[in-house]
Amino acid sequence: MLSPEFGHFCLVLALVVSVVQIILPMAGILRDDARLTHFAEPLQLIASAAIFISFASLVYAFVVSDFSVQLVASHSHSLKPMIYKVTGSWGNHEGSLLLWIVILGLFGMLFVFREATSRLKTLTLMVMGGITLAFLAFSLFTSNPFTRLSPAPPDGRGLNPVLQDIGLALHPPMLYLGYVGLSVAFALAIAGLITGQVTRSWARITRFWVALAWSALTAGIALGSWWAYYELGWGGWWFWDPVENASLMPWLAATALLHSVIVVEKRQQMVSWTLLMAITAFSLSLVGTFIVRSGLLTSVHSFASDPARGIFILFILLGAVGLPLFLYALRAGSLTKGSDYALLSRETGLIINNYILVVSTFIVLIGTFYPLALELFTGAKITVGAPYFDATFNPVMGIGIVFMAIGPLTVWRRGMVGSARPALILSGSVTIIAAVILLVGSGLSVAGIAGIALTFWLALSIGGDMLFRLRPWQAGIGARLRLPATQWGMWLAHFGMVIFLTGALASALFEQENVVRVSKGAEIALGHETLIFDGVEERIGPNYVTETALLRLFDRDGNLKDGLYPEKRFYPAERQTTTEAAIRTRLSGDHYAVLGDGSAESGYTLRLYHKPLVSWIWFGAVMMAIGGLIALYRRPQKAQRVIQPEQVPKEAE
Amino acid sequence: MARSLTHFLPLLLFVCFAAIASVALIMTLSGERKLSELPSALIGKPVPVTELPSLSNPQAFIKIEATAATPYLVNFFASWCAPCRAEAPALAILGKQIDIIGVAYKDKPEDSRKFLADFGNPYRAIGIDNDGAAGLNWGVYGVPETYLISKDGIILKRHAGPIDGDILRDEFLPLIRSLQDRE
Repeated sequence: MLSPEFGHFCLVLALVVSVVQIILPMAGILRDDARLTHFAEPLQLIASAAIFISFASLVYAFVVSDFSVQLVASHSHSLKPMIYKVTGSWGNHEGSLLLWIVILGLFGMLFVFREATSRLKTLTLMVMGGITLAFLAFSLFTSNPFTRLSPAPPDGRGLNPVLQDIGLALHPPMLYLGYVGLSVAFALAIAGLITGQVTRSWARITRFWVALAWSALTAGIALGSWWAYYELGWGGWWFWDPVENASLMPWLAATALLHSVIVVEKRQQMVSWTLLMAITAFSLSLVGTFIVRSGLLTSVHSFASDPARGIFILFILLGAVGLPLFLYALRAGSLTKGSDYALLSRETGLIINNYILVVSTFIVLIGTFYPLALELFTGAKITVGAPYFDATFNPVMGIGIVFMAIGPLTVWRRGMVGSARPALILSGSVTIIAAVILLVGSGLSVAGIAGIALTFWLALSIGGDMLFRLRPWQAGIGARLRLPATQWGMWLAHFGMVIFLTGALASALFEQENVVRVSKGAEIALGHETLIFDGVEERIGPNYVTETALLRLFDRDGNLKDGLYPEKRFYPAERQTTTEAAIRTRLSGDHYAVLGDGSAESGYTLRLYHKPLVSWIWFGAVMMAIGGLIALYRRPQKAQRVIQPEQVPKEAE
Repeated sequence: MARSLTHFLPLLLFVCFAAIASVALIMTLSGERKLSELPSALIGKPVPVTELPSLSNPQAFIKIEATAATPYLVNFFASWCAPCRAEAPALAILGKQIDIIGVAYKDKPEDSRKFLADFGNPYRAIGIDNDGAAGLNWGVYGVPETYLISKDGIILKRHAGPIDGDILRDEFLPLIRSLQDRE
């Protein structure tokens, strides 16, 4: 049943269905025939089902190690643990492309089930059909995962131990949920441009899908960063690597979209901008997927080795980005309304938020593509690294945090919430005094102090906002707790940002680091703590041998806290050496040890770090993701109308 | 209508982006563009005279100047640069054949020292280019970047990006050998 041929057939079937999914409803709309437009929903479900079956057959081929399938033969091995056989099905170009399509099918299906039938829904499904069609064609014509191999080899070639890692296996599905989830907002934006009806209900629908995709993307990026931290052994958690940047850009654009769509929902302002953000966010996801998947950013050579793929990618990008932008250019003008809000208002705050996020997206875009463009034109392969981003991205984000603290305290149309002004003045002065004390007394850099002060201020302003709205000192707190879920989600996500910034700043500013070359018995100081090196011993793993350093960690009073055992693993079959950092994770900070080169005679190189609060980086990101998910919840109907009556005034005065 | 012209701006930006990408793709595919060539205004010209504080002794200066006893390499690197880690083995081999002067580009001295402790130090001397001023003079695109300089101080070759095994074997080693044979 689940033979590769059947999987291939289902993929072709899905392609045909998605063509029909575009044509039939289009005919229905042109001839004003509801019988035809109603086909969009069942057709989407059929396409999704066919895609799922196709993917199931690919996974099945990996599970039973069917080496007559070329993809299995080159990326799997009969001796692999079962979990890595399964995850191995998307650990390669063809399989990951199919996974991408699967998630597209999943979102299409969810969209059919969740939304009520309307013209907007039909048009959105047609656009989704178009995206599915393009990707299925790309898969079938240039990257078919089901190609057979004859004769079949006795065993596969894919037993690379370095790639057998659970973080690496789960990262792509999570990230793709985010990337592909943005396709729904993209399709809704195009449908909105076509109908010209970008209404409050359009925004309500769009907001749900944006928040969902945004949460998944946040979690996916956090997972990737955590993987780099514990697996690469470089001691950092973000490297401004092109692959990381490719996921950060859609995140920044999606964050802008998540905020601007609220303005459309509440106030019917920023309509055309929001449409542009929806198109941009998904376009950047596409660019990110393709660039990373095609290997374009790591090497132009791999790209040029398969001209068909390169040209296909170019055409998909031209169609998927160019056509919507053309449509936007033609139609957006008619959707723009005059503004009716004061300078100090929630609207202005969110516009500033959007501009800052777009500027930072451009900064990352330039930092990522300048080396690529250079490589294409000159063959030079260079890095634009941390200094560029430190000098450009960080200050812009700092300004963004200033407004992140003020924004939630403003109200729609004009002014701020009642006691915001004194609260801001108070928290602002506390922050400035604290910053001055740090500046005089701590010896930290100005940039570091600015970061601390901004984080502190943001925390104070969120806390103040919560206190002011909930007023726990007055009776009737129960009623006030019944705020819309979006409010709670926003607080949690914004507070997640505080936690993230705390972790990022503390681990950067107060890191203790010591690189030493020592022999057995040496005492190594690391901040207030001491490590004792008890030499290196050889250990034998399942398919590798290790050199394991034995380290004991003592606190400042000389009490033994823990052992740290960093390793160098040698895989004889693959002739590969990997380093495994030893990480002792605590809420207060991580101890991180890496074993370098050396021998018993000449001593060993050890890199030792203490990174205070570093795990808060990922806690913060998870809080942001959960905040986004909480905001998805909506009380049915009635609650819609009672959200803070002062915030929903009539359209015109 | 005039108001909606701004709405063409995103499309315009994208068209520029796509045009560059298309041209690059077509030229690459048709083989018109050799990927390894890097034009430089400096090739065949004398080195820009450069004086930098030394990493090992901040009181002293490293001078890169017009005449030297032998040909040598100048390698721009930084601890924050991932490809620099990748080219460490190639530089270690080169360092046994020819003098290499390292320039720590936009890097904190303590970070540079850590980097050398981790990945090896193939350099005869290292200068600190804290603000990137030397990089600007040399027209450095980014790091890593390597220049081969004759003993009369003429820039013979420039390579941007990490030196991998192929580039080492096919480009640097033969050129260095022919220079040394000539002596």
